[in-house]
Amino acid sequence: MAHPQIAVFARLAKENSAPTRLIAGQKTLLARTMHDIRYDAIHDEFLVNNPFAQAVLVFRGGADGEEAPIRVIQGPRTQLGFSGRLDVDAVNNEIFVPGGDRILVYPREGNGDVAPLRVIRGPDTLLRSAGALAVDPVNHLLVVGTNRGFARGEGNGSLLIYNRTDNGNVKPRGVIEGPQSGIIRINQLQVYPPKGWIVASQPGVGYEQEPEGAFIGVWSVNDNGDVPPRWVIGGPESTLKKPRGVALNPKNKEIIVADMRLNAVLTYYFPEIF
Amino acid sequence: MHRRIYLRPRVAVVVLMGWLGVFAVWVLLAGQAKQQGFSNASEAALRRPTGSPQLVSVEPLPVADGQMCQWVPASASTTLVAALRQEQPAAGAASSVDADRAPLRIIRDTYPTYSAIAVDTNTDEVYLQDENLFGYKVFNRLDNTPPNASFTEPKRMVGGIKTKLEFNCGLYVDPKTGDVYSVNNDTVDTMVVFPRDARGNVLPKRELKTPHRTWGIAVDEEAQELFLTVEEPPQVVVYHKMAQGDDQPIRVLEGNRTELEDAHGIAIDTKNNWMFVSNHGSVNDGGIAGSGRFEPPSITVYPLRASGNTPPLRVIEGPNTRLNWPAAMSLDQENGELYLANDAEDSILVFGTTDSGNVAPRRVIKGPKTGIKNPTGIFLDSKNDEVWVSNMGNHTATVYRRTASGNVAPLRTIRSAPLGKRALAIGNPGAVGYDSKREEILVPN
Repeated sequence: MAHPQIAVFARLAKENSAPTRLIAGQKTLLARTMHDIRYDAIHDEFLVNNPFAQAVLVFRGGADGEEAPIRVIQGPRTQLGFSGRLDVDAVNNEIFVPGGDRILVYPREGNGDVAPLRVIRGPDTLLRSAGALAVDPVNHLLVVGTNRGFARGEGNGSLLIYNRTDNGNVKPRGVIEGPQSGIIRINQLQVYPPKGWIVASQPGVGYEQEPEGAFIGVWSVNDNGDVPPRWVIGGPESTLKKPRGVALNPKNKEIIVADMRLNAVLTYYFPEIF
Repeated sequence: MHRRIYLRPRVAVVVLMGWLGVFAVWVLLAGQAKQQGFSNASEAALRRPTGSPQLVSVEPLPVADGQMCQWVPASASTTLVAALRQEQPAAGAASSVDADRAPLRIIRDTYPTYSAIAVDTNTDEVYLQDENLFGYKVFNRLDNTPPNASFTEPKRMVGGIKTKLEFNCGLYVDPKTGDVYSVNNDTVDTMVVFPRDARGNVLPKRELKTPHRTWGIAVDEEAQELFLTVEEPPQVVVYHKMAQGDDQPIRVLEGNRTELEDAHGIAIDTKNNWMFVSNHGSVNDGGIAGSGRFEPPSITVYPLRASGNTPPLRVIEGPNTRLNWPAAMSLDQENGELYLANDAEDSILVFGTTDSGNVAPRRVIKGPKTGIKNPTGIFLDSKNDEVWVSNMGNHTATVYRRTASGNVAPLRTIRSAPLGKRALAIGNPGAVGYDSKREEILVPN
């Protein structure tokens, strides 16, 4: 797109509601392809990637305008490659970044050229095109979504479940994939620890503008194998066309979805999972 | 001398019951009176007393916003962790529950948002690239939206699934044929070409597969070559102008010596054989992990036919330049000037084509009178001595005299939303976040 930015809207914003804040400009160090954004409620910070500059940017929660990040993880020791997604474990003070064939874990307060605390990598991990993840600090799990399936015929993606503190060449404790799962590829995902749910965006084939079978799916962290999602949001009522982002608002029992084809953010009341 | 009167408890109960009886009779009588009033009203409304409940009116419930109860966030507390372990679902679901439902709310911009601009001086038409609703709109060059009008209606529109227009940022109109070239930045990775008179949801007349994240476009009409910038990995890819399908580029400029860094706009000077590229500054060394860095924004200048890992002839860079997410550029060969849409400074900068280093722009168009907001597209109309700007931030295109400078009002404005309406500029939202403290939704492009 022509203009990178982070737009911030009131929760009750609707069509044509003006953003309450806009973060943009050279000092922000932002670039396009921010495929994730995470708010850390404990420390009042939010985190995004800059994949072009191979960096993790941490902003104060109320950042506004052309405001610089308060911390940047970047440099040769980081092992960071092109990664557009991340998650923060605010309880255990760690940042998780997927990177294709590896998962990199950094100290939450890391700044500068910081080496990862742990790296999940190796043939037993089954990591290929790892593009998204979410960490569950309550059940001590890490859920990874793979982005295979961007083009037709390259094989489909999966959800891989690891222990939160896994390190090295470890086998996932659960693998959700196969035709029943409906997973072509996984983009942004979340976990809801109190109930053990995985909530993932499944946007379908990447090169298609309005792919078939795109949905938001809910699985259990205990699922394993070719398991269909417990719930599926996607269909004519939802109006979703290509959902790529998902966030949870437990207080109001809402699932918030970013849809790239609609250039829109949609909020669903979804008490079933909360 | 006062005498105190003491009532025995039994007597007190009797007295209290008596008063309650009197009160009950009063309530019944009063109620009868009101009931009679209601009866009269019901009869007047063609209802008669029946001794049974009747529907007398319907009041809609207030709209629920979904707020139900406070959620306690996870913490390191052992007790809380134990509490949150409740209701863990068993492994394996037999089938999915179809939870299709309408959204409570949708955040979107229902108006066009203009990422790029071009002018067909043969037909006096302005082409505006709409990156929000995925299409382009065509206006008369002299259109000028009055302040009290909601918008100016375009004379033609192209858009829809057949067109493959999506995240369309680069735009070029062939000065001879009027063919419209649209660069799609994401997803479809295809440049599409339409005839001048295209209208509606139509197939392109020609398609060219292009690299992912292609952004800017320039054409050397004499050499019949098409130049495209790629944001990451940063490149300039050059094709035959009529290339189509899977045709490959005839030249590629790329590599760490080029100083291409998140490349955006491109302009060419066929008189002096120069190529100008604007760069945002985010870069890494060919995908090598850990090589990422932030460089200052810049305009890099190359020989027109540079290829491979060729260093720039000169670089415009530094605090005096005012560069802030430099976007599209347009060249005035006759006067030796380079016009730049300076996105994040809400300004238009004009440099000399021989400028180099930490140089201040010759002219700056900026200020509240200009109507410029997040300009990403620019077109110099040498025939009419005007410079056009597409503003991502406010649904407008604005036009100025070529030599305009400072806080000047535009000559004309084409506006596609009510006056003062801020564009949301949501583009390719690949993620969303929720700030539970401020109850706000975070949307990155």
